[in-house]
Amino acid sequence: MHTLFKWRCRAAGLRMVFVTLMGMWMAGPAAAFTVFACEPEWAALTRVMLPDARVHVATHSAQDPHHIEARPALIAQLRQADLAVCTGASLEAGWLPMLLQRSGNARVQDVLFASDHVNMIDPQPGAIGTPWAGDVHAEGNPHVHLDPRNLLLVANALAARLQLQIPAEKVAIEQRRAAFEARWKSQLARWQQRAVPLRGRQVAAQHTTFGYLWDWLGIQQTADLEPKPGMAPTPGHLQRLLSGLQAKPPMAVVVASYQDPRPGKWLTGQLGSGVPLLVVPATVSEDADAEGLLRWMDSLLGSLLGVTRP
Amino acid sequence: MSTHQHKITRSAMLLMALVASGASQAQAEHGWEFGAVLDAGMSSRPLAVGTRDQGLQLGHSDLSVSGPLGKNIQAQLTATFATEGGKLEKSLEEAWLETKALPYGLQVRGGRFASQIGYLNQQHPHADDFVERPLLYRAFLGGHWNDDGLRLNWTAPTNMYLMLGMEGFRGKRLVGDVVNTPGNTGVTTWVAKLGDDLSRSQSWQLGLSHIRNEREALVEEHVPGEAHAHAHGAQFTGGKTWMMDATWKWAPQGNNRDQQVRLTFETARVYAHNTDAAGDMHRAHALALAWRLNPNWELGARTDWLRVNAPDDESRLREHALMLAWKPSHMQTLRLQYTTQRGATGDAFLDASQRSVQLQYVLAFGAHGAHAF
Repeated sequence: MHTLFKWRCRAAGLRMVFVTLMGMWMAGPAAAFTVFACEPEWAALTRVMLPDARVHVATHSAQDPHHIEARPALIAQLRQADLAVCTGASLEAGWLPMLLQRSGNARVQDVLFASDHVNMIDPQPGAIGTPWAGDVHAEGNPHVHLDPRNLLLVANALAARLQLQIPAEKVAIEQRRAAFEARWKSQLARWQQRAVPLRGRQVAAQHTTFGYLWDWLGIQQTADLEPKPGMAPTPGHLQRLLSGLQAKPPMAVVVASYQDPRPGKWLTGQLGSGVPLLVVPATVSEDADAEGLLRWMDSLLGSLLGVTRP
Repeated sequence: MSTHQHKITRSAMLLMALVASGASQAQAEHGWEFGAVLDAGMSSRPLAVGTRDQGLQLGHSDLSVSGPLGKNIQAQLTATFATEGGKLEKSLEEAWLETKALPYGLQVRGGRFASQIGYLNQQHPHADDFVERPLLYRAFLGGHWNDDGLRLNWTAPTNMYLMLGMEGFRGKRLVGDVVNTPGNTGVTTWVAKLGDDLSRSQSWQLGLSHIRNEREALVEEHVPGEAHAHAHGAQFTGGKTWMMDATWKWAPQGNNRDQQVRLTFETARVYAHNTDAAGDMHRAHALALAWRLNPNWELGARTDWLRVNAPDDESRLREHALMLAWKPSHMQTLRLQYTTQRGATGDAFLDASQRSVQLQYVLAFGAHGAHAF
């Protein structure tokens, strides 16, 4: 207890700094509702529901969201937030727990995970990550935003949470949610019609990034450039894939813009001119809103349809 | 095979068996996670102020479990295993509870945990870029200082990361045997950390730490050639210590798994218990550079300075290390390191190694994904 007393005496200096900083913070203008979004797609949905929100986006479309460093800047962003919106299903397992712990922010500990509100594909109940198995997501494929129907489900969950946290905006949020739903549903019908020629086609792709998109469009992924989930393509693995793909050429080799395009380039080079390489963004830009989401989904479909000419 | 090697093989097998039983529950419900790390190494020659034996050794291996206790408390338990002087040392390294729901960015942690001073101290040694910690840590902090105590942290609600923290420890794992009991009330630390991004590809962190140690070591007798630096307990201690650390990292577009450069500088000055003494007593610096060329290969270089003072002797030591690491996946590392100790003067470092080649294999199971900056 003697130590505690001594602490108190020594605390005087730092306490001055503490009080000054707290004062500066308290004196600042009343801050807007602040949301920390792990990925740009959730930032876009937040802007749809709450256009005045201050939104911090932890990652961008040129980044692999599996592998992010728990940087000081991200801790500071999470410290300021009133709500964190992330994908879940272990996508952020390598960095979000550390950020949550370091932020010391009680308000964000109950993260809104998108994967809790959609039907997951490829769940592997009981699967254990071993050092040799690659990145196994027992919960299922975490890239849920690639199915536009899921975006609607997550939008509903997000709206409900925001209404709970900002009762004053309850009606306005419901109006925005309903407007978004109507607009998105009419787009869904249009996209599904446009995508009819893609049904039953085959692709080769890197990772399971676009699994939900294939599922929605009725496309079949016949080859994964990665030897094991999360492991970079190896020459040996690509060589093994080649013979199978030569026998039954896919309509394209698809990689996300954050992935290294070289393995895909090599593969399409070997497969000949009939099989193009598509490098497409796996998500929207950091400042996107409803418009950005629409344009992104439009361009994904456009890229795929562009290579379906017989 | 010597009995020494037998012991290591046996302990490694024991660890693997424990892991296998734990791993079957690795994906436990309620957010509880199990993890295990095996760190096996081999050295051609032990280093002065080193923690690794000659020949085959078990490095800082651990079994850990962490998870929430209710909504507001996070808990962690870590047991470590390592060989020292041919013996298997078991230790409870972490057993702490931490708050998650205090207001104003405040956090309290209590129990046994690693102090947050410096850049490396909070990190588990098996996550380091080099086989041994810098001389600074080995000489002044027993390699990796964890102790029984209480921590209070405050993270500022600012755009730039700012954290202020204080800790109070019993200090028994920093200084074992002490001179006189009345004044030996423990060890307190003060820490400030500051950090931010410079661009999409660059980020930095600065830290300033102060340690106030009231436990004056009984003797600092050093027997050259003996593996003196015990894993817990510092070899050279003083009354007050100031530490400064600076880190800069670069990764194209923030994709640190593909390519990254990490540059860290740490410096420490230790002052004598007798505050009337002019100037510092011991001093150390460490400059480390690590370069991830691609997801599978890393190169690193480090240079260390150490100067310690005894009443009638000043000793100096320089250490340089080069390492090459192969990471077939992010849960495995095979590292080859070349270390040389030069410019040893004075009585303290008569056992300096001209050159030592070290090989290290680290294998992680389960929850060991999240690492700090």
